[in-house]
Amino acid sequence: MRVLIQLRPSPDLVAAVADPTVAVTASDVADGLPGVVLDHSFAPVAVPRPVPATPGGDPLSLSQPLTFSMRPEEASVVVCGEIADDEISTRVSLLPMTRGEVVAVYSDPVIESSLTCGDDPAVGDRHDVARLLRVTDLAAEGLDGSGVALAVVDTGINAAHVERVLGHDITVDRDRSWSPAGVSGKPGEHPVDHGTMCAFDALISAPNASLLDMPVLLSRRRGGSTLDGLLSDAIAAYAHLRNVLEAQPAESRALVITNSWGSFSPRWDFPPGNPGNYSDNPAHPFNLIIGSLAEAGADILFAAGNCGRECRDSRCAFPDRPIVGANSHPKVLSIGGVDTNGQRVGYSSQGPGRLAERKPDFCAYTHFAGSQAFGDDEPDSGTSAACPVAAGLVAAVRTLWPSAKLSASQLRTLLRRTADDRSDVGYDYDYGYGVVDAAGVIAALRRRAAKAA
Amino acid sequence: MRKVLITVRLPRGASLESAMRHLDLAEDEVDAGYGLIPVDPAKDLYAMRVTEDASRRTAGDHPEVSGPYADPPIEPMEPYGRPE
Repeated sequence: MRVLIQLRPSPDLVAAVADPTVAVTASDVADGLPGVVLDHSFAPVAVPRPVPATPGGDPLSLSQPLTFSMRPEEASVVVCGEIADDEISTRVSLLPMTRGEVVAVYSDPVIESSLTCGDDPAVGDRHDVARLLRVTDLAAEGLDGSGVALAVVDTGINAAHVERVLGHDITVDRDRSWSPAGVSGKPGEHPVDHGTMCAFDALISAPNASLLDMPVLLSRRRGGSTLDGLLSDAIAAYAHLRNVLEAQPAESRALVITNSWGSFSPRWDFPPGNPGNYSDNPAHPFNLIIGSLAEAGADILFAAGNCGRECRDSRCAFPDRPIVGANSHPKVLSIGGVDTNGQRVGYSSQGPGRLAERKPDFCAYTHFAGSQAFGDDEPDSGTSAACPVAAGLVAAVRTLWPSAKLSASQLRTLLRRTADDRSDVGYDYDYGYGVVDAAGVIAALRRRAAKAA
Repeated sequence: MRKVLITVRLPRGASLESAMRHLDLAEDEVDAGYGLIPVDPAKDLYAMRVTEDASRRTAGDHPEVSGPYADPPIEPMEPYGRPE
């Protein structure tokens, strides 16, 4: 997190900072502050001290006549820096105690004209995403998803629509697809909706993957009419996927599962601490089956969610830490969203996660003109789109790197390590480890292959 | 009647029928459409949906039963602004 640090160094130094003819660096003022990475590009700034115009006035009240003193004995100096997100509360408490010249530490929020939000037009198109994901380079490496099972757990896929917009045939593996009881429609023939968008976006970098259609969100067991299912439907879907995985030869196992859904409200959950709770409870049966499948070699990706502070989905009802349950599981990749300019979209949920703190893991591209699943002018948006975009890259990698050669855990680490970091101190709760970097992934795989040869 | 999610440890290869016999459950107490779902075969752990009364009774009678667990609705992660 970026911070502003207010210090009161010696009057001589304050005077130097205030003098525009004297060059003073951040290091001159605040070198060696523990846990702080100073921003050396930010020249220290002298800040006057507010003084009540009338004797006895409240020194902290702005609702009174004030004068401002730049006398070196009274003014202070501000520098910029960065503190790791997971150390912020400790550092902010300790800094004034360990370094007497530190007066206070303030947040230094990013101020921008606007972040991309849910109702904004598309930023770029699928060709931009393909370029950013180095799809041509992936294909040249033989990484196109061939032979890889890519399960889309969502509202079902309409293959004809995907083929029409993509301009080529796709493969829906009907035998290994699965539907909850009571859901009609054949795999690959569901109405065009959210799941079709997810399938389209996954195929951008893995055009030859075999799609497994898992329309869990079409379940109507609850009797509702909207697109939702129950978490128990997802448990049943994952039990099927484990059978799919175990039926694959051990030496060539490759199953990628993309999940652009979640639970939005604590209203339907037991409170944290209750043994039946889902949001914070690694012992919930869905969180157990996630762990079991990941251990068996599946790559599981979840959307981080659209509860970002700047423009959150109106359904978001968790008061804080909105990345909950399986979306924050330590053995899944939790995917945040950036637009094709690499800037985080305002609705992308921020960490920390509830089951694992370091969520999201990284960001992938969203909010681009893609599948047209919601109309010609509607972008593929939400972390709903970012998740399958990342899943497609994972499926591309699996073409030549089954879990026997590169375990699910190793691949998660590789993707985190190669992500394009967006802060000075590594992990942050907005971007996670950064933005997915296909070029870095390709280079890492080449190094790994060379080492194994 | 409303059904809730529970887990139960059963011998490997268990079926819904064998689970119902083991837990002394009647047909109308179980979501047969949902069935018996293997959660973690390595731990012989299964999930099923039963009535709230059956959940309380089996949890009291059988230490290998856990729950009820939350079974919240799950929804697509669409941002707001999406036309219905």
